[in-house]
Parts: sequence; structure tokens; C-alpha cells
Amino acid sequence: MSEEELTFWEKLARIDRRVFYWILFIGLMIPFIRPIVFPIAISPSTRDLYEGIKEMVEPGDVVVMNIAFGVSAWPECMPAFCACTKLLIKEGAKIIFWGAYYDVDMTYQEVLRRCEDYFKDLKYGEDYVYLGYYPYQEAAVAQLAASIRSIFKTDNYGTPLDEIPMMKNVDKATDIKLVLSGDTGDVCDYYIRQWRIPYGTPVAEIGIAMLGSSYMPFYKSGVLFGMSVGVRGGAELEKLIGEPGEATIRMGAINISHILVVIAVILANIGYFASRRK
Amino acid sequence: MPYPTAPADIFGLWVAWLLMLMIYSYPLYKENPAFRFAEHTYIGLMLAIMLVRTSITTTINMVAPPLMKGRVDYIIPIILGFMMYFLLSARYRWISRYPIAVLVGAGFGLGMRGVLIPNILKQVISTITPPATGAGAVDWWNYIYIAIGTICAVMYFILTWEHKGAMGYATRLGRWIIMIGLGAYFGNTVLFRMAMLSGRAQFFLQVLKIAPM
Repeated sequence: MSEEELTFWEKLARIDRRVFYWILFIGLMIPFIRPIVFPIAISPSTRDLYEGIKEMVEPGDVVVMNIAFGVSAWPECMPAFCACTKLLIKEGAKIIFWGAYYDVDMTYQEVLRRCEDYFKDLKYGEDYVYLGYYPYQEAAVAQLAASIRSIFKTDNYGTPLDEIPMMKNVDKATDIKLVLSGDTGDVCDYYIRQWRIPYGTPVAEIGIAMLGSSYMPFYKSGVLFGMSVGVRGGAELEKLIGEPGEATIRMGAINISHILVVIAVILANIGYFASRRK
Repeated sequence: MPYPTAPADIFGLWVAWLLMLMIYSYPLYKENPAFRFAEHTYIGLMLAIMLVRTSITTTINMVAPPLMKGRVDYIIPIILGFMMYFLLSARYRWISRYPIAVLVGAGFGLGMRGVLIPNILKQVISTITPPATGAGAVDWWNYIYIAIGTICAVMYFILTWEHKGAMGYATRLGRWIIMIGLGAYFGNTVLFRMAMLSGRAQFFLQVLKIAPM
């Protein structure tokens, strides 16, 4: 069928996908030039994460922040991860950072940079510590629960753990108040299986949106005490801690992109049904 | 973070910006040599980082210290690790099956340790537990929807009975429930991809100093 014989709707259904990609890419830029802030309602899973931290953490408690997301997932996970870090610091927690991704050093540095106002009054080794990268996924997570020193003899900078003040009496899962796992994959599963179930350590998930439906059953059944889903979870946490930031702005971009996707799906379906009727 | 001022940082920023454009030239234009160059650079770099990071962490931090202290049992996993390389030889590939068997066994054992309670018991309990006193209509709707949805979706996978009559209605509903679940999962996937893309759009503007760093 030649191009002239096509109806308007059929032409619409056959628009080159690259046109849509261009519109999408340009549309996503708008909120970063001129922020569009939409009202954000707090979902129960994010509220439970926020309130769980506030209720469970006492000053001096040691908390693990597990970095299981790479640089590519910063837009999704970083705002919620930073909001939780800020909240933990406000509650007086001592934080252990470690990670399961090769580029964990970059992510840790970025967390320090984004929360620099909070870290400037803290002392490395006394209030927070960075142990670095651990390979071997679930086996390592299980071993960390039994003995942190079996995986990390030193911190990331070569200081033996016994010489780090906040690590003096900390070696196993029962010494840790709770674990917050920033994820793009299934690392939180390992903490559920190896920390939450055998030792009872509370675990919460700071995941990408894709993991929302995967981990919702764990949250609903009380295995996870809270959960932040993607950039939306980040925006909700920013609202809860009273510091609207990157995720709040990014939600504008997300909303624009979703409106475009919905319009594209509607147009494509109209075109499809119009061509079938013909 | 302010815009970098050190020449090396600015150079790094622009290299990242150019590589990003090269990658995006594929969906926004078509496959081309610039895209392939950026793709190969990325894969090569990631592999190199992964190799160095893992080997350093493993050999220097985890294996070497106990070996130096006389823990000879650490030689066993090293030998098993080297046996893996027989995968590359068609003649001796069978040797690599032993470390793979150890890995599968250990992984299965570790996984099973904590699977039953969170993945099965807690899910069953959570599905059959009615909402607490004072729960709203939405909570009751969710409870009934999840209970019926779970039963029907499980029934869809009963393949020893023909899906006819009452069973046919239940399995058809189960199929719809599964499709709704997959739709929600796909929706979350789209949300994730858009967030990633928005990160790149932001970076594009930041390097050009149109958006704040």
C-alpha cells in the first residue's frame, strides 16, 4: 500500500519510532530547565521506611547501608539512599557503608558529596566507616552476617577494623540495628535470607521502580519493614525529611515522559484498530 | 556541586558527554561507527574494572592474608577456581564440572536456608490474614482481591486437570490476574527506564551549563 492510500490514523500508527524518541528526550529536559513540581502523596511503604528508621534507631546504633546499585542507577536510587543517610545521621546512627558493585567507590563518594552538610560534623571511623566492595554475592552476604571480619579485614583505606573505634564491638548481624539495601538487582533477597530470617535483623529496600512489584510481597508480609520504590520513593522521602531535592524535580520529568508514553500507546492503538476495521 | 574548574575534570566531563551522545545516536538516528566505538569502549572498560576489582579483592584481601598465616585449606578454593578455566578446552571441559557442582551445591544450600519462611510461609500467612479491626473498604478489597487472585493464579498452573467448567472460569480469571501482574511489572520497568533517561537528559544539560550541576 502506498503512503498516499493510508488514512490519517494509519499514518499515525506508522510514525518512525525515532521521532518519538526525540520528543521524549527533549520532553525530559524541560523540568530540569524549568522545574515542574507536582504534589506528591506518601505511599505506605515509604512512610513505614521513614517511621521504621525513626522508631528503631537510637543514637549510637550501628546501621549498614548496602550499596548494590551502580553509577547508571544514580537517578533512581541515589535520592532515596541520600535521604535515608541524612535521616540516619539526624537520628544519631553510626553508619557502615559497603557495596556489591564494582563502582561502589564512586557511589560512596557521591553520597558523601550530596550529604556533605551532614557529614561535615561527623568523624570518619567514629560516626561512619566505608569498608568497600565485597564480591560473591549471597555467599559473602551470609559470611558478613556471621563475621564481618571474615570478609573485611580492613576498611577501604587499609585500616584494620579493630583499630576503627566504631567497629570495636561490631562483627556480626546481631550487632547491627538494621540494614538498608540500595538495589538494582536481587541483593536485598540475600539480606532477607541471610540476615533477616536467621538473625532477625530488620531489613528495608531502597530499590529501582522495577523492583517495586518484586519486593511488595515481602513488604506486605512484614519481612521488609519498609520500602522505597524508585525515584518516586526518593521524592516521598525528600518530602518526609523536609528537603525537596533532585527526586522532586525528577518526578516532573517522569510525569512528562509517562504522559508521552500514554499518548503514544493511545495513538498507536487507535491506528491499529482503524487499520483493522478497514 | 559546582561546575568543575580543573582541566582534567572538564575534559572528563566532555568525554562522558560525547560518549553518551555516541550511544544515543543508535536510538535517535541509526547504528553507526560512533555508536559501536562507544559501545566497545564501555564493554572493554567494564570488563577491565570487573577483572581488576574482583581479582584484587579476592587474591590480595581475602586469600593472601590467611595463606600467609599458614591456612593451607585456602588452597582448595584456589585449585577449584583454576579448574574452572578448563571450560575453555573441549577435551578437558569435564574437569570444570567439579567446581561448578560445588558452586551450585553451595548456592542452593545457602539459598534454601532462608527461602521457606519469607518466600512461602510469610506469603501464605499474609494472604490468609484478614485486615485488622477498623480496616477500611480498600483494605478489605485488597484482601479479597489478593486471596482470590492468588488461588486463581495458582490454579492456572494445575495442568493435570482440563481447564473446563468451574475450573475453566477460575483459570481464566487466574490468567487475567497474571496479565495484570505482568502489566504492573512492565509499568514499573518503563518508570525505571524513564528515570535513567531523565538522568542522562539532566547530564546533557548540566555539561552545557543549561541546568545546575
